[in-house]
Amino acid sequence: MLISFQNVSRFYNDWPALENIELTVEPGEFLVISGPSGAGKTTLFRLIWMGDLPTSGLVEVSGYRSDRIRKGDLSSLRRKLGIVFQDFRLLSERTVFDNVALPLQVAGYSPRAVRKRVFSLLAEMELNHRRSSYPHELSGGEQQRVAIARAMVAHPVILLADEPTGNLDPDVSKHVIELLLEINRTGTAVILATHDPRQIPAGTARYLYLDRGHLANPVSWDGYNQL
Amino acid sequence: MIHFLKASLHEGLLNIREKLGSFLVTLLMVSLSFMVFDIFLVVSWNVGTVLSDEQESVGIELFLREDISEVEAVNLADLISVMEGVRSVYYVSSLEAEAVFRADLPEQADLLILLGPQFHLPSSIQISLHPDYRTSGKVSGLARTVSGMDGVKDVVYGQEYLPGLTSAVDMMGKLVVLAGLVLAISLSLIVANTVRLAVAKRALTVEIMSIVGAPGWFVRMPFLGEGLVTGIIGSAGSLLLTGVISSILSSSIPHDFLPGKWILLVLLLGASAGAAGSWIGMRSGIPKPRS
Repeated sequence: MLISFQNVSRFYNDWPALENIELTVEPGEFLVISGPSGAGKTTLFRLIWMGDLPTSGLVEVSGYRSDRIRKGDLSSLRRKLGIVFQDFRLLSERTVFDNVALPLQVAGYSPRAVRKRVFSLLAEMELNHRRSSYPHELSGGEQQRVAIARAMVAHPVILLADEPTGNLDPDVSKHVIELLLEINRTGTAVILATHDPRQIPAGTARYLYLDRGHLANPVSWDGYNQL
Repeated sequence: MIHFLKASLHEGLLNIREKLGSFLVTLLMVSLSFMVFDIFLVVSWNVGTVLSDEQESVGIELFLREDISEVEAVNLADLISVMEGVRSVYYVSSLEAEAVFRADLPEQADLLILLGPQFHLPSSIQISLHPDYRTSGKVSGLARTVSGMDGVKDVVYGQEYLPGLTSAVDMMGKLVVLAGLVLAISLSLIVANTVRLAVAKRALTVEIMSIVGAPGWFVRMPFLGEGLVTGIIGSAGSLLLTGVISSILSSSIPHDFLPGKWILLVLLLGASAGAAGSWIGMRSGIPKPRS
């Protein structure tokens, strides 16, 4: 078990962002979490990377428990995760290479190892020709691919993708989803938050529906078609 | 670890390069603030030198009764020489006093002839004090003690100017410390504000670093380094500016520039203010990841 939520609630003042969440994620799994805006998807993600801690209950991620995590453990935990955001969050003053290299640099890899891994990943993601470009010189799809490359560069065990296609047109979105599926096929667990779970082909993922902080029972792909 | 440090240094340089303009403005502000302090130090140093020269000459002179023999006077001097605070004593006989008088005031040497052969200048004991004892309170205390000794006619120790001199030296010392503290605090606030602006400008970088697993010190170190560099270069710049002003003015107002120790102190103060400013700025400026 890679991730476990045991009766987790997160309140902001008195407002329940998440309530009584029970959830487990296994290694190599592809989990799709959908729901309307404000349903609590982002809060769920924050609890996974422990940018926030639960008001009650226990979150356990790759052996790190929310009730015992120390400040110094956070960086170790986050190096096991890759995170992709809807708005890409690329550093505008750095090149594609530097953006992708950042997780390795902050983990203390040698410049040689960083170059080798980044060049190889950029080649895999067909971004090598863009390695010296700055984010503003890239299309939306390219920027999201760079963001995914940054998330994957340190070989995370879990990839969290928070609405990664929210700002992309359908064709580019399809390409990004294919990329996430490919990453999942290499053994990385992928958790995808999306408004539109139908982007994911039937039978390739487990589906959950989040609404006003409550997790609905597992929903099948067919179930989504009926929503 | 070395790669960590290199990467952190690289971040610090990026930090400065990305906002070179505001970095230079901050340097100028720090330099000008420090320059006010440096000028104050130069003035303090020179006034302090004059005061300590004055203080150096502080001592006690005991005039002895005429009926005291030389042997008795030497015994008295020996007795005084072992008293607390006394560095050395020197017995000046009546004949030596006259010789000094003639040598120091040759135009008034006739006065001794006019006063006749019966007149003799009094013999005396000159007491030199340890530096710690050259204050008004201690000198007057010692003077009171020795004035009650047998054979002493009169005691002179600069009663008129010593209290003022002591309090001026005290005040100068306190003023330098106080000005140093006030300046260190205000400079820390200037640097803190600059670092806070730098952090705000780099909020996304800090956030992404934290999300991709950068240790806290890795995120903080470039800002701390920037504060240190700002403090050191700023204070060095102020010393340079003050040196230029000092050399321009030296022909019309003779004075000394700061000694090496004080220059080092200014640089250390700059580094400390810079580091403290960064620390304050980081504590209030580093954002928490938003989502």
